[in-house]
Amino acid sequence: MIPVINSPIEIGRIRLAVVLSAVLCLAGCGESAPDPKTQIGAKPDLPALQQYLIPPMHIAPVVGWQQGEKPAVPDGLQINALATGLQHPRSLYVLPNGDILVVESKAPGTEPIKRPKDFIMKWVESWATSGGDTGESNRITLLRGANGDGKPEVQSVFLDHLKSPFGVALVGNDLYVANTDAIVRYPYQTGDTKIAAPGQTLTPLPGGPIDHHWTKRLVASPDGSLLYVGVGSNSNITENGIEAEKNRAAILEVDRATGRWRIFASGLRNPNGLTFEPQSHALWTVVNERDEIGPNLVPDYLTSVKDGAFYGWPYSYFGQHVDPRVQPQRPDLVAKAIVPDYALSSHVAPLGLAFYNGDALPERYRGGAFVGEHGSWNRPELNGYKVVFVPFADGHPNGPAQDVVTGFLNKDEKSRGRPVGLAIDKSGGLLIADDVGNTVWRVTGPNRQPTNASLR
Amino acid sequence: MSQAAQAGTRTSNPDSTARIAMHPIHPMLVPFPIVCFVGALISDIAYWQTAQMMWADVSAWLLFAGLVLGVLAAIAGLIDFLASRRIRELAPAWLHMAGNVVVLLLALFNSFIHSRDAWTSVVPAGLVLSALTVLVMLFTGWMGWEMVYRRHVGVAD
Repeated sequence: MIPVINSPIEIGRIRLAVVLSAVLCLAGCGESAPDPKTQIGAKPDLPALQQYLIPPMHIAPVVGWQQGEKPAVPDGLQINALATGLQHPRSLYVLPNGDILVVESKAPGTEPIKRPKDFIMKWVESWATSGGDTGESNRITLLRGANGDGKPEVQSVFLDHLKSPFGVALVGNDLYVANTDAIVRYPYQTGDTKIAAPGQTLTPLPGGPIDHHWTKRLVASPDGSLLYVGVGSNSNITENGIEAEKNRAAILEVDRATGRWRIFASGLRNPNGLTFEPQSHALWTVVNERDEIGPNLVPDYLTSVKDGAFYGWPYSYFGQHVDPRVQPQRPDLVAKAIVPDYALSSHVAPLGLAFYNGDALPERYRGGAFVGEHGSWNRPELNGYKVVFVPFADGHPNGPAQDVVTGFLNKDEKSRGRPVGLAIDKSGGLLIADDVGNTVWRVTGPNRQPTNASLR
Repeated sequence: MSQAAQAGTRTSNPDSTARIAMHPIHPMLVPFPIVCFVGALISDIAYWQTAQMMWADVSAWLLFAGLVLGVLAAIAGLIDFLASRRIRELAPAWLHMAGNVVVLLLALFNSFIHSRDAWTSVVPAGLVLSALTVLVMLFTGWMGWEMVYRRHVGVAD
């Protein structure tokens, strides 16, 4: 809209406004903001980086789901609550018998205040990761026989008193849980609704004392001999010192028999959603890239992960784009940094990834990837806060991402919920952990009315 | 306070208004922001030379503390300035005040720069601002000493 200017006073006011906004732009506005859609795919638009006086901090305030509200899905799909009233559910795992494990987890809260800024950042993060204090968390809840009415037939505390858990992987009768500081093994028999046996530590993982990115996603190799675990960086961009980043911003490969591990790939700032692509059997991950260099930098991404590869963090992004905030610089590492496969646009915070190899959802979703985008805090316009679908062909992304599950934000841009981890259940439904709405959602196809459904 | 101010008219020197038992508060407080801002320049130089984040964190705290204590010192100074026509008639008082407003604005701006992450929280903008702050303080300090040691502001004799 172009304002009509008809008085010198108004012109003066507008001049003042222009000067003020020019000054405030130092404090973070993205006047040249490209459409987030231009940052989706193999070749995202990457604007020049900017440095802020005050970075934009805009998080959707939490309102929660009101009675009868639920996320929106396109025609041909339906969505229902599988379980409600959970305690900050962050990731999901489907056992071979169809039972669903919901990992309910909270940040370890061990990050020290190192400078005045950290007070403010802690406050901002408290909006981001919690729908209020929901009581006891750091446990795994088992759901069984869920028919979509929000009340599973069996809901039991499967494992309790965990340490900020996130990843789960079952190999044979060994159930592995990735706490924030260790992979722990438990004995599991088909049909168990509770594990009473104590866990045995397979290997410690980089945890405290800072533990900035604490979620440890876990996946077993297709033959079951190895485990892969994502370890996020200990900072946004090395502001806690490079020594705090040892064995972090990496995917570790752990030998299941001995617990010995090595760095499989590095330079991945916060890798989550580690999953083997069903067709190529390659390891894929979604990665949360760095903040505070612009509303459109750096795009988060989805990528296959090559053995021994380096993906840039902290020294560079999307290949050889050097980040001036890191000293000493490492041109040798920047030179070998790999460009990730597929940008998801900036600050969307992808935390969940699931390839679709079921047959309950429409044909167009077969073989592609669903991505859970927790949503932005570091740009003026919100981005993410939805589940998108990336089509795949021959084991590689093929085409633009499409919105699948939206409506996590209401019309006033307040958040009813925020999607995190994803999984495909035994009947081919897409499961979504919603850590702000404290709900697990289930997306099903048109002809798969859940049996005995009493839909809300 | 007002009684003290009236008592001050008995001496030949321009008198301080914000004072405790005849001791002016402003000169008691000014060393704190001065030390903080000089310290921030030193820790900025240390970070520039070593890239050890500890020094950048030290700078951020020193700037923060310097701002808080600097504002307190400014309040005491402003009371003295506004309450005494004889102080307002001194040119160095105006220069001292204007310079220190610049110091506090520079330090505020510098605090935001120092809230960036890692290298560019200091180099180059933070380091330059810290050095400018100290340079301006040399001038405002000189003006302050002029007022006390030559014009005997707040001195009882």
